Amino acid sequence: MQDKIRAKARELLETGTVDCVIGYERATDGLTARPVFIYGTAGVDRLVFDQTCVHNLSKFLLDRRDKRTAIVAKPCDSRAINLLINEGQLARDKVYIIGVVCQGMPEVSWNRVSKEPQERCQRCPQRVPVVYDYLVGEPVEALPVTFSDVEQMENAGPAERRGFWLEQFGRCIRCHACRQACPGCYCSECFVDQLDPTWVGIRKDVTDNEMWNTIRAFHLAGRCISCNECERVCPVSIPLSLLNRKLEKDVGEFFDFQAGIKAETVPPFATFKKDEHLKGVE
Amino acid sequence: MAVGFEPRVVGFLCNWCSYAGADMAGTSRMSYPPNIRIIRVPCSGRVDPLFVVKAFQMGADGVLIAGCHPGDCHYTEGNYHMRRRFALLQPFLDYVGIEKERFRLEWVSASEGKRFTQVVTSFTEQLRQLGPRKDRELMAAKGVQRAV
Repeated sequence: MQDKIRAKARELLETGTVDCVIGYERATDGLTARPVFIYGTAGVDRLVFDQTCVHNLSKFLLDRRDKRTAIVAKPCDSRAINLLINEGQLARDKVYIIGVVCQGMPEVSWNRVSKEPQERCQRCPQRVPVVYDYLVGEPVEALPVTFSDVEQMENAGPAERRGFWLEQFGRCIRCHACRQACPGCYCSECFVDQLDPTWVGIRKDVTDNEMWNTIRAFHLAGRCISCNECERVCPVSIPLSLLNRKLEKDVGEFFDFQAGIKAETVPPFATFKKDEHLKGVE
Repeated sequence: MAVGFEPRVVGFLCNWCSYAGADMAGTSRMSYPPNIRIIRVPCSGRVDPLFVVKAFQMGADGVLIAGCHPGDCHYTEGNYHMRRRFALLQPFLDYVGIEKERFRLEWVSASEGKRFTQVVTSFTEQLRQLGPRKDRELMAAKGVQRAV
């Protein structure tokens, strides 16, 4: 796998198809991976790909909008690329996607790699990138989508749910790592940074944290591609995927839409039908 | 239920229909519960989910969004967009524990003063049945610290 990526990267850089290859390299701790930008054939051998390459690299493409770039993309990352193309942030012909087949990534911390795949990967239906120019690995069947965790939450009583979320939001330290890691969060000015009006107060209060977390999730309604980077980077382990996946489930139910599967489909909030009947609306 | 509990309702009314409808109720001398605090917006489509969550954060017991009937929007399609947004936002807020009975979307035209009073009355009554929000108690039970 790794050799194929390296060979392709070398070929792309030699022929001048792209100026830069975004991929993974071994971090200095010798175990985990970190993102790397390769600008010449000399650096190609630094590229690695294995079970530790958990990051979603697609956000880096936004820094290279008008330059020809190749990127190593897992299935979830490829959906993010589709999302960015759909929203006019990227041009498809500027991006060369080296897709990799993914069987799920393990939990990686500084000193160990888990045997089981991450929870997000256990629930992920995609095993093959939805868009690619060159595929590494043998294509495998997509898995069925499950929302068992969301349904379990929905079936709890309102007071129980409220208590659960207040406790979770109470832990938030508003480092905004979830936003920084999210490929869908690219607004030049985020609502949380606005000072006039100050939508989210500067105090670290549970109500302000709730404001941030709910609106962040809602801004990704119909856009979240469930790469779950937000949850992975959260330093206080708030189950953000429970919020995102609830919206993903409802968007699927109401509008029969899944973000990032096709770059051409119009997202649900960009359109409407005059005579549609939506659940809960008269 | 708390003794003497009066729900606080924030109403986002569209300038062209519902606000005029509320005005019609007033000029026709129809009475409706004073629990509603009206905020005039140019269109129901102007109502950002931010406004709704902010209202709940600031202690509203209920939020009402009222706009022109589908097809009658002054800006042609604002209320259609709001309808989609509401369809997702209401179950989402319910999911984080703000009961869906606390959040309503209604269509009230400029001539429907009567309907406006009915909407506000039934909504206030519903909230009164539901009682005040339990956030403080739940936070105390869970040991969640508040910033002062």
